[in-house]
Amino acid sequence: MTLQLLALAIFDGVAYAALVFLVAVGLTLTFGVLKVLNIAHGSFYAMGAYITASIGGAIFAAGFSPWLAFPLMLIAGALVGIVVGGPVEKLLLSRIYELEDVLQILVTFAVFLILEDVQRLIWGGQPFFESSALQVLGTVDVFDITYTVYQLILLPMVAISVLVSLRLFLRRTLMGKLILAVTEDREAATSVGINAERVYFVTFVIGASLAAFGGALASATTSVLPGMGADMIVLSFAVVATAGLGRVEGAAVAALLIGLGRSFAVYLWPEIEVLVPYLIMLFVLLIRPEGLFGTTHPRKI
Amino acid sequence: MLEFRNVTVTLGGARILRDVDFTVKQSETIALVGANGAGKTTLLRSVMGFTQMSGEILFDGRELSEVPPPQRPGLGIGYAAEDRRLFSAFTVEENVIMPGQVAGFSAMELRHSLDRIYRILPELKEMANQPAGSVSGGQGKMAALGRALMIGARLIMLDEPFQGVAPALAKRYAEALRTLRDNDREVTLIITESNPDLLRKFADRALVIERGEVCEGSFDGGADTA
Repeated sequence: MTLQLLALAIFDGVAYAALVFLVAVGLTLTFGVLKVLNIAHGSFYAMGAYITASIGGAIFAAGFSPWLAFPLMLIAGALVGIVVGGPVEKLLLSRIYELEDVLQILVTFAVFLILEDVQRLIWGGQPFFESSALQVLGTVDVFDITYTVYQLILLPMVAISVLVSLRLFLRRTLMGKLILAVTEDREAATSVGINAERVYFVTFVIGASLAAFGGALASATTSVLPGMGADMIVLSFAVVATAGLGRVEGAAVAALLIGLGRSFAVYLWPEIEVLVPYLIMLFVLLIRPEGLFGTTHPRKI
Repeated sequence: MLEFRNVTVTLGGARILRDVDFTVKQSETIALVGANGAGKTTLLRSVMGFTQMSGEILFDGRELSEVPPPQRPGLGIGYAAEDRRLFSAFTVEENVIMPGQVAGFSAMELRHSLDRIYRILPELKEMANQPAGSVSGGQGKMAALGRALMIGARLIMLDEPFQGVAPALAKRYAEALRTLRDNDREVTLIITESNPDLLRKFADRALVIERGEVCEGSFDGGADTA
């Protein structure tokens, strides 16, 4: 492997890891608080991508500045989180918190199927491709490699700032502290006056928005087409399981590990590229069944 | 100020509380005495709204079933559960002030309440900045008492506060309760304990709970049949 290929593999891996992280961190945050593994999380990712690509395509074709792609991504993220994620939690998930894990997963799987069809209904089966945001930022030369600024600089910076602001939000703001308190012990949280239902709602909307924002950012780098949500949810499960469920910082490390693992496989042994994230997960879980950063909790009977 | 009317709690087919009927007057200190599994914890949890129950619980004349559980602490009810249940993500002081923050106390009110709590429990001040996950079981119980004091202006319920606490700390804890009693004559206290001797000195009244039924008791052994 030449130095150039090595650099290329690292750049690819980091850019990819940044996107995966945004989705995985939302998933792990939601799981940490609601204790529900949300299969429909991938649909939020796909919807963020679809909204950005379709609306972006329309407004750029009408002659508007491509720079509008960036505020559009933020809006798409928040919109999906509030308009789609909000009702999913309020109307559906809020009724199933007391049920068994298996039933909860089945319900979120049903939501996933419904949202997949909603996407087909709105956007049809044809792929969208809208890369104005990627092009407008131009390219940069590093080690004689020409790489897009969008993937090399913007995506990792966004991922890092999401990680840092999420940490500050959880540790420094009252809402964040309430989320941490409910995560640790719902009953104790209620007995100090915390409205756990509201905390669940806010957390779910934040998690869904992060996934949709990840999809919005990804839409500039790839074709938006049916099935992208399913691909992403499986991968984020691998990241979240590798990190340890509910671990925000862990999700960043695991996303990087899996992103880099995948991109190195592309250059070294392309046949197993798709398999690599799961091999990494398998390897980690064999050694640490609770994940890299997970802690085991004795179950209280 | 607290009235139980025919309260029955059934859990998994077993009746944990049966037609519990009793009244606690304001500023009383009640020792709720009973063996493990008698239903003491369930009784306190019913006040907080954590059980499926039939019957009524009235607090200051108000039917508690009309108050959603997260709003009950706001009525002035502080509760320290048996397993201490501090939030390990925060420091001891962050734990103590949390009920006040949630209830929307101003910075001055928080400071004021905190000062009062530190007067009653001076050792909390020393460990204020320690992570709550790092303190011992007994210290954790002190902190949980502090947290209950933050919001419990009317009623404070302590579930087995002396359970598994080193004797020296248990003595300090009892002293703190006495200081609280001396400083605040309005607040009502309900303390559960399997060993009634520890509460003999400062409880006004003992209630005995046996197989889910509550009756007036004395400190000298079981239900008061005299």
